[in-house]
Amino acid sequence: MMALAGLVVLAGCAMPPTNDPEALAAYREANDPLEPMNRYFFDLNNFADEILMKPLAGWYYIALPNFAQDGVRNAVNNVRTPVILANDLFQGEFERAGTTFGRFLVNSTLGLGGLFDIAEKMGLERHDEDFGQTMAVAGVDEGPYLVLPLIGPSNPRDAFGKVVDAFLDPMTYLTFFTNVGWINTTRNGLDIVDFRARNLQTLDQIKKGSLDYYATVRSLYRQRRADEISNGNPNLMEGPGSEPEETSEVRPIIMIDPNASLDFLHDSVVKQGSMN
Amino acid sequence: MSALRSFLVLLFAGFVAASPGAAAAEEPTDFISTLGTRAITELADENMSQVDRETRFRNLLNEHFDVPAIGRFVLGRHWKVASDEERAEFLDLFEDFIVRSYAVRFAGYSGETFAVKGSTPGPKLATLVHSRVLRGSAEPIRVDWRVEPRGEKLVITDVIVEGVSMSVTQRSEFASVIQSSGGKIEGLLEALRNKTITADTTGAQ
Repeated sequence: MMALAGLVVLAGCAMPPTNDPEALAAYREANDPLEPMNRYFFDLNNFADEILMKPLAGWYYIALPNFAQDGVRNAVNNVRTPVILANDLFQGEFERAGTTFGRFLVNSTLGLGGLFDIAEKMGLERHDEDFGQTMAVAGVDEGPYLVLPLIGPSNPRDAFGKVVDAFLDPMTYLTFFTNVGWINTTRNGLDIVDFRARNLQTLDQIKKGSLDYYATVRSLYRQRRADEISNGNPNLMEGPGSEPEETSEVRPIIMIDPNASLDFLHDSVVKQGSMN
Repeated sequence: MSALRSFLVLLFAGFVAASPGAAAAEEPTDFISTLGTRAITELADENMSQVDRETRFRNLLNEHFDVPAIGRFVLGRHWKVASDEERAEFLDLFEDFIVRSYAVRFAGYSGETFAVKGSTPGPKLATLVHSRVLRGSAEPIRVDWRVEPRGEKLVITDVIVEGVSMSVTQRSEFASVIQSSGGKIEGLLEALRNKTITADTTGAQ
């Protein structure tokens, strides 16, 4: 079994092109040496999604009224607070940590145990954090693209981050040290189904609209992560420029300046939030 | 005499304000604000047929987006080695592809509002205009627009939704299609032809 897995990994390794510098640049940009294996798991995940997750999410979407779905989302978000707060603090983002903590206090009390997002209306806008982002901010490279079975797009850094986040989450300990582990299981189930239900249309449109769904999702994942890591302030300099056509060259997609102030967008978001 | 002069001055002022030269001085934020509101009013009507929506979308696209520049960027390193015929066909197909893929997404946007939240200078002459699409109780969507001057007018060269650039996404997808067809642009053109043709027949239903 192990030998078989090893064989799959070996066969799945595409060798980097050595003679063509531009092909090499494209190879690095895709950063996907395990592409054949990744495509295999991507198809498998898609199949599981089509026969299980999508129908389930569809029923959830139809059966539950909107306000109930929002309640589920708010409660799941509220329960995630310790993970977000810890990672805010790890990144030295004390203002954002304050926002996260303030949201928790307001929503757990006035928001009836997290069912309502009262804090949002008070100008405390929600943000997410995870340990993958914390490592990225600390300068850890993402590594090659990975599609994990049943989990989906990832990379070694983010996959490791998920494990650390599980340890940071008090709910995890319910599963291992109490007999009310079903609470954690229910939370995880609702989180996944609600997320899928919120993306029914979007994912269908992306799937239908793309020539290579796998490559599109790979690019979407990378860009979304870059955006999350920089707290919504990535370097957006890449794009069709005003330079003459023949000099346009392939450059790195989105670069994040590790020294850039990440407070900038957060501040403007808070101001906008309080203006609304 | 002085009445005539002030009349002439007024006439001249009106002429200057209406001339295309004045359009170049248009603020990128105003440009996006007007266009965004117009796009939602013209495209989001749920009762509109898909053909109508695509026609209107194509008009807006050609009027306000620099589709050839986006196409060149999206083809990346393959643009340089493409023949003139391949380039021309690619740009045609690319426009159809954008219309097919994106026009339909406006169908669910009725009732949404659009607010410009300022701008930051981009590379060269570009400006990034920041906006939000507000959707009632749901979380607002962050949309950034890359706007560049082209002669007298402003054009859009990229749309970035929640940090995801449409051009960059499209470029990596097309690169993957070309790679899987042995590095030949013909493979991409073929895939685009098929996509726009099948979309044609399904769109006609």
